[in-house]
Amino acid sequence: MPTDHRNPARDASQNPASSAVPSRASNPARDTSQNPAPSATQVVDDSDRAASSTGQVTKPSSPLPPPILSLRGVCKKFGSVRALDHVDFDIRAHEVVAVVGDNAAGKSVLAKTIAGVHPPDSGTIYLDGRPTLIPTPAAAHELGVATVFQDLALCDNLDIVANLFLGREARAYGVMKEAAMEDIARSVFGRIGARLPSVRTKVAALSGGQRQSTAVARALLGSPRIVVLDEPTSSLSVTQTAEVLNLIEHLRDLGYGVMLISHILADVQAVADRLVVMRHGRINGEAPMADVSYEDIIAAITGVPNDLTRATQRRADAARAG
Amino acid sequence: MTTERPTLGSQSSLREANRGRILDAIKRFGALTQVEIADAAGLSTATVSNIVKELTANGVVTTSPVSRSGRRALQVSLARRLGLVAGVHFASRTLRIELSDLVGTVIAQQHMPLPADHRADTGMDRAALLIADLLESIGASHEELRGVGLGIAAPVDHRDGSLPVHGIQRGWDEVQIAPSMARRLDTPVFVDNDANLAALAERRFGAAQGADVAAYVYVGHGVGAGLVIDGQIFRGAAGTAGEIGHIRVVDSGAICHCGNRGCLETVVNANALVESLRATHGNLSLRDVVNQCLAGDAGCSRVVADAGLFVGVAVAALANVINPRVVVIGGELARCGDLLLDPIRNEAGRAVLRNPASPLRIVQAALGDLAPVRGATALALDSVSLTADITEVSYAN
Ligand SMILES: Nc1ncnc2c1ncn2[C@@H]1O[C@H](COP(=O)(O)OP(=O)(O)OP(=O)(O)O)[C@@H](O)[C@H]1O
Ligand SMILES: [Mg+2]
Ligand SMILES: [Zn+2]
Repeated sequence: MPTDHRNPARDASQNPASSAVPSRASNPARDTSQNPAPSATQVVDDSDRAASSTGQVTKPSSPLPPPILSLRGVCKKFGSVRALDHVDFDIRAHEVVAVVGDNAAGKSVLAKTIAGVHPPDSGTIYLDGRPTLIPTPAAAHELGVATVFQDLALCDNLDIVANLFLGREARAYGVMKEAAMEDIARSVFGRIGARLPSVRTKVAALSGGQRQSTAVARALLGSPRIVVLDEPTSSLSVTQTAEVLNLIEHLRDLGYGVMLISHILADVQAVADRLVVMRHGRINGEAPMADVSYEDIIAAITGVPNDLTRATQRRADAARAG
Repeated sequence: MTTERPTLGSQSSLREANRGRILDAIKRFGALTQVEIADAAGLSTATVSNIVKELTANGVVTTSPVSRSGRRALQVSLARRLGLVAGVHFASRTLRIELSDLVGTVIAQQHMPLPADHRADTGMDRAALLIADLLESIGASHEELRGVGLGIAAPVDHRDGSLPVHGIQRGWDEVQIAPSMARRLDTPVFVDNDANLAALAERRFGAAQGADVAAYVYVGHGVGAGLVIDGQIFRGAAGTAGEIGHIRVVDSGAICHCGNRGCLETVVNANALVESLRATHGNLSLRDVVNQCLAGDAGCSRVVADAGLFVGVAVAALANVINPRVVVIGGELARCGDLLLDPIRNEAGRAVLRNPASPLRIVQAALGDLAPVRGATALALDSVSLTADITEVSYAN
């Protein structure tokens, strides 16, 4: 089997966890030293972490690793619709952040902002603590953000391998042989634990869960650090949902930061580490999954004030105060 | 990649290994065409076709013609003798399901993550749908399903599969699990505590084979034990035998969910374990703690070892009462191996009456996370052959 060591994309795709998010996968607490100190803006904005991260950023003194990606005060309007209204949002390596909310709450727009489809009108995106522009989907790809949109954008009449490399042959995968592409496809599916018998199956013949796995595998080829999944289990059978939830757990264990947008609370509660509730374009609640009840989540989605929304409000007020 | 890797073994051991890879692939996907098997197992189609022929002749697999993308192909599935049973395990955060034939060969399996505090209605709905999908994936009809064994992480009154002690699986209190699951599946359902079933499985197929008195201790989201004496599960009068999670190990400790003070489960449970690491390690899941312990993280290893010391106290108490031939340690934390087991051994050794004729043996579970679902399958197999068609009538309503 020929191996092209000069091709960085290919090498990386064989082991994204170790190349893209080095030691955090095995030990989130240890490697604060590997990341630049959070920028001043970020420290001011995030009162929770300010104390530990201003002190000794080179020591593992902060229990939470710094976020890979942070949004601060991000706004996005469509005409008079405030789709995103001063949104603060973080994704860390090795965690699943679920974003829930009613229809039109702004979840997909948030995903598309991170994916470079809708750059913000105002506010800042930080990558590893540095202010960063994500003006296009190609830029998001370069920066390590992989997004699987709800429509998946797969070609039914092509097989799995062809779908994985569609539109990429010309770039990183230039003269790659079919057999080599099959190998990479198999290795990606093997790594994410996806249940797919043959990588030469036509996409039209796949189940919903297998299509989702294919779209995720395609997203992972660029060796991202963040995987954004918009409604990955809606309209799937239970078996297919099982496949996708197992896949999400697996991605997390490999060290990826996963953003899971979903309105199926049972799925969210099964795999998420942290929960963010959106309402009318705002963040209406945020908490570790273990700390919130089903009833709290429903209340935050529908806009009834409760412990979850009040705690988030207090944090936001404190951040504004200084 | 259709070339086989050359191995050092003889021709027959190579063939044996290839047979294993083929059977693994079929088990994983239910039923596959020969081309798909070749791809999934990384073998040439010629090799696959050869071995499938042999397996068909031996009655291990059956083949049926299907069409795939307009072309005709042979679909291969495991042969199922006499019918099928399902094993179901509702663990704290995972649902596991397996289908077996009536000689106990596992034919298909599936699992999925569950929410904390999962609820009976959605849980049973999902399990029923997964079983139906698994049946379909192997081309079996619903009538072939003869019975279902179901394990759950709470004490069970195994007559109707209700939970006599409320508040342990809060979403399942008040539910008569056996009849309501039987209605969903239209087949008899037999329910037991998951540690009891894990004990049964380890006794039959795992680390406690041949032991006349065996105990299985679950250490993970909580602590519990199952006892198998002379091959039979010992449940006590109404299902709470073996609940060693409620042995007091901290004299003026925290109040337990059971209402008592200082129970083992107040110090060894998923929340307590990750909570003691929150200041240094941030938000970890129980799986993270185990993975980091295995990767050599000092803090996580310490938390696991300390859990072992507490469990050891309770294991000694258990051993002094039932004098087990072997104590099998299972559950999420058991994946840490001796990092958990050595502290258990040390602490138990200091509090058990030493009997030279049966020194206390404490070993890691051989079936890992699959022990309870294996036991659920065993329960279904035992119950189906014992009760024949009588229960089918009583549960059909
Ligand atoms: N490209 C667009 N042009 C104009 N308005 C848009 C566009 N995309 C989104 N919006 C508006 O922004 C708001 C937020 O939409 P978004 O798609 O993020 O909702 P959502 O939370 O994903 O809802 P759902 O659960 O229905 O998917 C809505 O009012 C929507 O109509
Ligand atoms: Mg949307
Ligand atoms: Zn107790």
